[in-house]
Amino acid sequence: MPLFVKARSFLRNLFLSRRVEVDLDQEVHSHLEMLIAENIRAGMPSEEARRAARIELGGIEQVKEQVREERLGNWLHSVLSDCRYGLRQLRKNPGATAVMVFTLALAIGATTAIFSVVYGVLLRPLPYPDSNRIMAVFEVTSKGRPSRVADPNFDDFRDQNRSFQAIAKYNDNTASVSGASQPTRTTVAGVSPDFLKVFGLQPILGRDFSASDAKKGAGPTVLVSYGYWRQHLGSPRDLSQSHLKIDGTVFSVIGVLPAGFRFPADVDLWLPADLDGENPSRTSHNYYAVGRLRDGVTVELANRDISAIARRIQDTSSEQGDYLLKDGIVVPLQDSITGKARSPLLVLLGAVGFLLLVASANVANLLLAQASVRERELAIRTALGAARGRLIRQFLTEAFLLSLVGGGFGVLGAFWGVVGLVQLAPQNLPRLDSVSINIPVLVFAFLLSTAVAAGLGAFTAARATSGDPRKGLVEGGRGQAGSQGSQRVGRVIVAAQIAITLVLVVGAGLLGRSLMKVLEVNPGFRVDKIVTMDVSLPWVDDPKAKTGQAIFFSNLIDRLKQIPGVRKVGATSGLPMDGGLPDGMFLLMTPNEIPKTMDGFGALSQQKGRIGNADFCVASEDYFQVLGIPLIRGRIFDERDGTDSPHVAVISDSLARDRWPNQDPVGHTIEFGNMDGDLRLLTIVGIVGDIHEYGLDVPPRPTVYVNLFQRPRAAITVTMLSDADTRLVTSAARGILHDLNPEIPARFRTFSQVYSASLGSRRFNVILIGFFGIVALLLATAGVFGVMAYSVSRRTREIGVRVALGAGSGDVLRMILGQGLRTIFIGVAIGIAGSLALTRTVKSLLFGVTPTDPLTFGGVTLLLVGAGLLACFIPARRATRVDPMVALRYE
Amino acid sequence: MSPEQTNLLQGTLDLLILKSLIAGEMHGLGVSRRIQQITGGTFVVKPGSLFPALHRMEEEGWISSFWGESENNRRAKYYRLSKAGLKQLEVETKRWGRITWAIAQALEAS
Repeated sequence: MPLFVKARSFLRNLFLSRRVEVDLDQEVHSHLEMLIAENIRAGMPSEEARRAARIELGGIEQVKEQVREERLGNWLHSVLSDCRYGLRQLRKNPGATAVMVFTLALAIGATTAIFSVVYGVLLRPLPYPDSNRIMAVFEVTSKGRPSRVADPNFDDFRDQNRSFQAIAKYNDNTASVSGASQPTRTTVAGVSPDFLKVFGLQPILGRDFSASDAKKGAGPTVLVSYGYWRQHLGSPRDLSQSHLKIDGTVFSVIGVLPAGFRFPADVDLWLPADLDGENPSRTSHNYYAVGRLRDGVTVELANRDISAIARRIQDTSSEQGDYLLKDGIVVPLQDSITGKARSPLLVLLGAVGFLLLVASANVANLLLAQASVRERELAIRTALGAARGRLIRQFLTEAFLLSLVGGGFGVLGAFWGVVGLVQLAPQNLPRLDSVSINIPVLVFAFLLSTAVAAGLGAFTAARATSGDPRKGLVEGGRGQAGSQGSQRVGRVIVAAQIAITLVLVVGAGLLGRSLMKVLEVNPGFRVDKIVTMDVSLPWVDDPKAKTGQAIFFSNLIDRLKQIPGVRKVGATSGLPMDGGLPDGMFLLMTPNEIPKTMDGFGALSQQKGRIGNADFCVASEDYFQVLGIPLIRGRIFDERDGTDSPHVAVISDSLARDRWPNQDPVGHTIEFGNMDGDLRLLTIVGIVGDIHEYGLDVPPRPTVYVNLFQRPRAAITVTMLSDADTRLVTSAARGILHDLNPEIPARFRTFSQVYSASLGSRRFNVILIGFFGIVALLLATAGVFGVMAYSVSRRTREIGVRVALGAGSGDVLRMILGQGLRTIFIGVAIGIAGSLALTRTVKSLLFGVTPTDPLTFGGVTLLLVGAGLLACFIPARRATRVDPMVALRYE
Repeated sequence: MSPEQTNLLQGTLDLLILKSLIAGEMHGLGVSRRIQQITGGTFVVKPGSLFPALHRMEEEGWISSFWGESENNRRAKYYRLSKAGLKQLEVETKRWGRITWAIAQALEAS
């Protein structure tokens, strides 16, 4: 019971304080009245009775105060009164308060926004049950890199492992899908039957795949995403009538997956893999694999398990060579999705953390300046008996008020910041859709504000209450409050600010220089004036159907050429900077060396002199002209190269130099049938320039180009070089395609969009870190200015004396500038040392510059010293104008 | 303060208030006079100590209060012992017994 009584009293004191007060007042008054009555009864005259009663009571207000101090929840009242006092202090200096709140809001807001991206991409668990148990499984190549898995290898992983309760393979591609509505290009995944079990999910409607759905020749079935079910199928409860035509085959819809499930990214439809049977090759790496760990199995155990299976395959397989797996590896799925984004995002977080430090330092300096003005007030309060703890609490309260208000505005700003960040972020940043301001991010922002508050409060409190109150009173009397000590601390803070800013700006400079270096790289192709059109036809195996598709593309290209303004029309299996091309091993051989059996190929592939490695690109003759890829030797495809004439290939310059050094490759024949299943030899007829197809910062890869009309392909990208308006070309092209076959969807982009997206992640980093650097530079400059201006105003009298004693304005200028420069140089020296130590961490993000690039270091140092000098110069000029007479009479 | 009056030991005020309220509900002045009476005038509790103690003990749940009429028809706040207060009185009494015994032992020791 007493606990209940206590709680009730506490709440009463807190929320009914007015009634409690009235009650107390009445009680004390009634007590006084009774004392008076008692005294009168004892025979005192009324005046005397009153006086005696008052003496016995000992002061109404004092008694009441003593009761208040005993009350439950009294501490809360004193905190509230601290807050009120703090607010009054902050209101007294509205300008400084506004600057501090704004500075903190900017820094906390920026940090929160960046953290929300880091959290959404790297930290937030994947949205599946027990998602930390879901692993990605890879083969490891002979070069030690993880790679996709081949069908028979996956089967061995699945059947022999003891680590996974479910394991599945999947891939994704774009298909032309038509149901009731318009044909659309849809991202489709081919998955093995246990796919959903790995994710711990079940269809919300209908059923999951069964083992029989995945057997070769089974009736085609498909699972659809929740969004697709609603938008394209009209949300039917009964799926028995729902069918989709995917690349020409009709599939029955058997189930709908839970809302939000899109794995792999952007997939709307999941089909059983291997409806046409598995690929028996152990070196055709066509699938990704995921598995859910059994209870109690660690990642390490699973790794050992998979690795053992992989090595067994490597030891026993007949398909030896560079393309056979060397090992297997298991990594948490989340890490495998976000691995590449990790270091750039952490660098960003570090950069914004530096900005936060610089901003906090500015606020600390402002608070310090205020505290030294308040030294007299503090001295008086101490003299009147305020405990040091009470004063420290006052400073902490003020710092908390500032930081929480700043943090509050910062979080509001972060809501917009995140929207901006998501728009600015490179398209290839994974999990962007899970970035938002959510509870964990808000908790982070709160903790961050609290930490900033604790730091600032502890700092100012320690500084402001460390002094001797007598000194405060005396010095205060002369109006030179706290000059020496707090100014020294102020300069230390400014030096630290400069050091941190230098590190940040050097980082931004290195990234900026890298971006410039990247842009200087000649891509090897033209970017402007190219409209691209992705077209995919149903996948076919039959050579005759393939030829039909080639004819279709040929017609399409002929028609597109007639669009007004379109100069050239080419086609390719993969644009540069757009996801890359398949690569593989080719064999040098002459027509009479063609083996009769697959084993014969295997034997040839053991001969080092016969093998080469290249990317495989299917292209049409005009593709090279549209992109401006130069012909170096020989010729490009032309009318001679019909379906039945010898198949020809054009190779890239780097391949020619690497594989045929000091020889002319033109006229040689190669076997590259493992890329498209066509075993006819390719005769090299020409050499073209290298292009940076994986990005400007990646060296060109050796490439073999084959003729689209000899080696047809279902999915191509048409490239149109045109002077006309993009929209006109797009709508004309869409019309032509619809005319030829209304069932085929297309996607249009401009090549410059594709190109500039490839620079997205670099640009993102440069823009953000550059922005942080500029803000930090402004803050640091403001910090230098503030400290110098304050110092000059405090030294007015001293300067006046110096001038009166004969110092010239040059001397004064030198003295003030010298003082400022010392601070700046110390900061710069520490900053350079810090940069040398820290820029190594961004090494992976640099291109064409070393982490210790002298030009960047030199330029940034000059920039900082210049900005610092400028900030010193204004107060220094003011110092030279000090009139000794005015200064000496000052105050 | 007359020479025979003594300062209250820490913690004894609670005991005295609880003890005086055993006689029945009374207002603050009543408690004060009662303590004076039962200690033979040795302890005089000033309002500055009495009221904070009363309020604290009420918040502890040992006593409860209500507004009533005083002997000469004035409105006064009355206090009354609660069950928890009765228990607390026992506890305090025992504690006080231990202290006095210990002090007596200490003084008797040679």
